[in-house]
Amino acid sequence: MGARARLLLLLPSTTYRAAAFVEAARRLDVDLTVASDQDSAFSGREPERLATFDFAHRDTAAEEAAAFAAAHPVAAVVGVDDDTAILAAAMAERLGLPHNPVAATLAARNKLEQRRALAAAGVPVPAFAVHALDEGPLAVARAAPYPCVVKPLCLSASRGVIRADGPEAFVAAHGVLAEILGSPDAARRGEDSRRYLVESFVPGPEFALEGLLEAGRLRVLALFDKPDPLDGPTFEETIYLTPSRLDRTAQRALEACAARAAAAVGLVSGPVHVELRFNDAGPWLIELGARPIGGRCSAVLRFGEGATAISLEELLLRHALGLPVPAVEREAAAAGVMMIPVPGAGVLRAVRGVEAARAVPGVEDVAITAHPGQRLVPLPRGDRYPGFIFARGGEPAGVEAALRRAHACLRFDLAPQGD
Amino acid sequence: MGSRIPAPPGAIGRRPGQVDPGEGTWDNSFVDREIRIKAEPVDGSRCRFVVSEPLLEGARRFASPDEAAGSPLAVELFAVAGVREVLVSGATVTVTKDGPAPWQAVGKEIGAAIRRALAAGGPTVAAAPPASSASDESLYARVADLFEAEINPAVARHGGFVELVDVQDAVVMLRMGGGCQGCGMADVTLRQGIETALRQRVPEVAGIVDITDHAAGANPYVTASKK
Repeated sequence: MGARARLLLLLPSTTYRAAAFVEAARRLDVDLTVASDQDSAFSGREPERLATFDFAHRDTAAEEAAAFAAAHPVAAVVGVDDDTAILAAAMAERLGLPHNPVAATLAARNKLEQRRALAAAGVPVPAFAVHALDEGPLAVARAAPYPCVVKPLCLSASRGVIRADGPEAFVAAHGVLAEILGSPDAARRGEDSRRYLVESFVPGPEFALEGLLEAGRLRVLALFDKPDPLDGPTFEETIYLTPSRLDRTAQRALEACAARAAAAVGLVSGPVHVELRFNDAGPWLIELGARPIGGRCSAVLRFGEGATAISLEELLLRHALGLPVPAVEREAAAAGVMMIPVPGAGVLRAVRGVEAARAVPGVEDVAITAHPGQRLVPLPRGDRYPGFIFARGGEPAGVEAALRRAHACLRFDLAPQGD
Repeated sequence: MGSRIPAPPGAIGRRPGQVDPGEGTWDNSFVDREIRIKAEPVDGSRCRFVVSEPLLEGARRFASPDEAAGSPLAVELFAVAGVREVLVSGATVTVTKDGPAPWQAVGKEIGAAIRRALAAGGPTVAAAPPASSASDESLYARVADLFEAEINPAVARHGGFVELVDVQDAVVMLRMGGGCQGCGMADVTLRQGIETALRQRVPEVAGIVDITDHAAGANPYVTASKK
């Protein structure tokens, strides 16, 4: 037999996902190359294992991948977030590997293109309109449907997403959004940073679906409840709980909606993360991503039981490499994660009570990901959580209670900004 | 170059609450007298536990329960199902386990074992055998040379450094600092860079254990954001 398969893993330098994906790759009998947008300290020394590609320019990155693969044949290209999903599709296309259509990943990344594709396919989405940021906000405010949500086209983690219940609130939200989109990291998105969506607000509880597309067929890996109401004015995600406590009929409706959405956008392969709402009118598709669940949240998912259980990352890598996937059924236990809300604006000095939080029955870990001296920025301007709480147990209600008790133990010591 | 730091591994025992980490210490509990332990999973098989009290000057590795005699901390840890290896260095315990159980689940048992050992009041870890094997001495020197000549000049470009803590039974124990400590890509640097270099240049090395307290890194080269 020939050489071992090589996996090209695209890791943005700011990802939370490096450790989980690298560990998953190590569990598989493959050669791993990590490609990133910044040089590693060892890029020059280990060019087979550490590559630096121009993540900001898709075509260039695809050519760089092709040049790399000419010397080191690649069996699969895997991205870990919205942006690298696009790059992975472009590289796989260039290399002749199975992949999502690049256009589909682009549509999934861009909220406007996604809305248009979904609406055209009859997938239930909020009524929406796109506006230029430099349009007079008063005129837009007069025509907006209330309550409505202003939403940037290109940001993630609910950054810049603001509900407005009337024209005055709309104008205020527009001002905040303009400030956010004028920041250097948003402005580099080009045209997408100069437009925004105005959507009707869809009431009702929100859910997140984690899925895997296999030849266009959606396999549901997990459906999460989000028990904290997401009614605005900002939309800070906190708790994800699985299995869902929604009735089975409604769950099926959500799953069918997600499957239709993936097909409408044109995705056929790999992970999807879907945000949905459900109310008297049925399911609503809020967001679709050609990526797995973000942050450290994937740690809450295990597939299979006992000695053969695998992580979400291993499942995704196995799928991408065409290796056997021992299980796609989530374990029997209920599980949950809390993205710890940003406690306020300021510079983090210390977090207290972590050990007490870890001691709460049902809590498996408390991971503080913010570092001392890091500036914490609440929504709508910020996009980073200070950490994550993980819990597992027999049923979702107990897991939710454990997460809340653990969170109540934490004390954040913040210095005022600029201190 | 490459000379082993003579760190006579004196055993240190502390009673709970004897050491106050003090104001501004990272990850304090608000329960002041509590022994604070911070779990930092490295990967599915290894996890660091940073304890608020010193455990050992220097480092000692326990590759099996047979080596734990006389070291209550190691005895307690090997009693936890699945624990395969224990490394104690300063205030850090790095545990290697078998099996798929997540660290979130095993960590509590580990924490309880550490507390039991500390609560006993005597030395938690016995002094290491008086002399490491000649092969470890040789490996240490070669690894130290590699760190000095290649590893540290490389990571210095990112404001980082890597400290060789010890070599025991051909396992390299290292600590990352500066820009590497808490860096979102530290695992990539470790596995794709440092580990690869060690495998190529010092193939006798059987494994690497990173005992860095990454959560305390105040100036990481790159910081993760939600994606």
